[in-house]
Amino acid sequence: MEFNRLKKWQNELNICIRCGYCYEHCPLYRESNWEIDTPRGKLILSYGLLTGEVEPSSYVAEKLFECFCCKNCSKSCSARVSPTDILTDIRADLMESGFDAQGTTVRSDQKLCMACGRCVAVCKAKALSMDMKNMRVLVDKVKCKGCGVCVAECPVGAMSQKQGFGVSREELLARIEGALKSGNGIPKVVTLCCNWSIYPGLQLSRIESTGAGNTASGIVVTVCAGRIDSGMILDAFCWGAWGVMIACLPLGECEHDGNYRVQERCTLVSRLLHILGIESQRLRLEHFASGEAQKLKNAVDSFVSEIASLGPPYEVLRKGN
Amino acid sequence: MEVKMKIDINRLKEIVGENNVRENSADLYVYCSDSSVHQATPTVVVRPKTAEEVQEILRYANAELIPVVARGAGSGLSGQTVPIYGGIVMDLRRMNRILVIRPRDVLCKVEPGVVCDDLNKALRPHGLWFPSVPESGRIATIGGAIANSGSGVRAVKYGTVRDYVLGMKVVLANGDAVTLGADTLAQASGYQLDRLMVGSEGTLGIIVEATLLLKHLPKFRAMGIAKFGKLEDAGESISAIVASGVAPSLLELLDSVAITALNKTLNMNLPEVEAIVLYECDGRLREAVDYDMASIKDICEEHNAFGIEISTDAKEMERIYSGRKNVFAALSRYREGFVCTALADDMAVPCSRIAECVRKIHEIGERNHLVMSTYGHCGEGVLHTKIVMDATNKEQWEQAKRAVEEIYECVHSVGGTTSGEHGIAISKAPFWKKEKADSLKMMKAIKTALDPNNILNPGKLMDAPDDWVKATKLRYPVELGTRA
Repeated sequence: MEFNRLKKWQNELNICIRCGYCYEHCPLYRESNWEIDTPRGKLILSYGLLTGEVEPSSYVAEKLFECFCCKNCSKSCSARVSPTDILTDIRADLMESGFDAQGTTVRSDQKLCMACGRCVAVCKAKALSMDMKNMRVLVDKVKCKGCGVCVAECPVGAMSQKQGFGVSREELLARIEGALKSGNGIPKVVTLCCNWSIYPGLQLSRIESTGAGNTASGIVVTVCAGRIDSGMILDAFCWGAWGVMIACLPLGECEHDGNYRVQERCTLVSRLLHILGIESQRLRLEHFASGEAQKLKNAVDSFVSEIASLGPPYEVLRKGN
Repeated sequence: MEVKMKIDINRLKEIVGENNVRENSADLYVYCSDSSVHQATPTVVVRPKTAEEVQEILRYANAELIPVVARGAGSGLSGQTVPIYGGIVMDLRRMNRILVIRPRDVLCKVEPGVVCDDLNKALRPHGLWFPSVPESGRIATIGGAIANSGSGVRAVKYGTVRDYVLGMKVVLANGDAVTLGADTLAQASGYQLDRLMVGSEGTLGIIVEATLLLKHLPKFRAMGIAKFGKLEDAGESISAIVASGVAPSLLELLDSVAITALNKTLNMNLPEVEAIVLYECDGRLREAVDYDMASIKDICEEHNAFGIEISTDAKEMERIYSGRKNVFAALSRYREGFVCTALADDMAVPCSRIAECVRKIHEIGERNHLVMSTYGHCGEGVLHTKIVMDATNKEQWEQAKRAVEEIYECVHSVGGTTSGEHGIAISKAPFWKKEKADSLKMMKAIKTALDPNNILNPGKLMDAPDDWVKATKLRYPVELGTRA
């Protein structure tokens, strides 16, 4: 098999010193804890494909299609190697050779799709297009960055991503519920945090006594805030949240425009909360530049203290009522 | 030792669970290397979660004579986690719990997979820290730091990892678990077996829990950058600072190659001079810190330093400190088509000989037509000499091999040691064996007593091949042949 695009990265693959700094903030590694899911692991795999030491297979292709393109790895790399760019090229090589993997890319369920085109409109990567003849959505898997903005935007749940990376709607809901039900703290506050707003707390370890670890207490990482839909926020209140905070990049800085999308949804949910008699300040959207972990921590602390002074929200939203 | 083993994968799955065993070729391939130049693929990878699982794996491996290589972040620089004879690679990163922090005893207990920087984040609210964190602390695990006797930029004042190990739980080759050391700073209770494990590179046992001494966080910190027109002046000033009795918390040398690489790759905006001495003082009293900073400034100026800049701004100090931690990778961008290799990269020399050794090392580089950078924690005598080379060129490897030999001759001739903090494993073994010739027999006896079947990280230290270049396949696309 020819890797025509990958070949040009041979020197970059040599330059990588394989130190592993790239996986500290990698959302995929955080989920699986397997070396093959680290950016370093993927670069080593790519090197192996080039040298012939690794046989191309559907498993290898699947692994190389698994990347959220968050570029936290590139930012951490002192040698300035860009795994995301290398993986984009290798995806194209693999597709060309007939390896059609899913990875972290989105898929469209033709049975559910209404061909409304909202997903196409919100996709900044231009990975989605409408096949007007067959009235269906086409996904360019090389271009898709797995941000999930389209998944949250789809009104009928036709867009989805594979489970196992902690970003599917089901997994995120389970995490939100888990964070609210397992925490002993009063008030019950959950923070949905974009992966780019590097969250505070431990990254790869856990504290035995508190259970705090991969996600600092009460913080659920969503990769892109644009994948948070209105239903998730409302469900959090239904599960007893006193307050919900959403942390995302400053406007204009998110390459997926996920922060604009979640801002629209927050406005809508705030109005709904108001109609239900729930104070709108219980839902807060805050912007943090990449690396402002301390600012995020302070904002969460301040939000928790404000929500504590408000007390529990109106009982009508509690499930079962 | 060449092993042809048959591993019962189902037995391993019974021990650690199906999801924690991988045997397909792609998964194995990504465990073939660390940050060294070596490459070898394991037969299977397992991820235990508990000490009991580690015990079960070792009981099985010992009975079947299967090599077992413990692995943390895989950030080692000498090939410690490269499974030279295949076998089981035991990825310990799931054992990542900080078990207890006891501020009144100034200690903590952690599992081996806890990441060094995470530990410090957890300690901060208690006003404590673990100062001896390797530069790779953002991913390096405590188990790896202990097993390789690591240190870091602050060792000049705070000592190395071995100074912080009070005790540990270790699983031996036969699967027995033993508790070594105690929860006390003072220990005079027979053999210091916990110390024996420090730096043993996974050849004597697998650390499953460590008790670490902690320090109180300093309240004040200041950093200085002194510029030098001559590399030797910078080296002399470091020797003089160490001899003066001042105790800086960081004392680093950067040569012009390292400075250029940092500026080029990370836009560090460091002064483009022949050498920089980076120093930092910390303490509980502002006046004491200021006094020490002034003393160091005076010494540097006596050795022709100029334009000394002092900073107490936390962000600026962090920027410089972070840059310093990234020199190795940044050097990979020093010259187009070249890469940075971890060869002869962490020897320690007596502080009074730093200037002389730095000069000789640069001469060796020039003589062998290699780009070489010398930097390091010179306050503790550690010199990092990364070789920047075309790793696809056979001739460059010959030159690098010669240079490495000459560097170690120089280091040993002044009473220095082969490795100050990165360990021996494969890359440095031939030179280390020369250095430790009269104690090798003793070390082999210890190894045989604790691991009679030689299953724990075989082919490292005393048992490493004598030709480091051919010990394994190299991780670069170049064919130099492998051991017979």
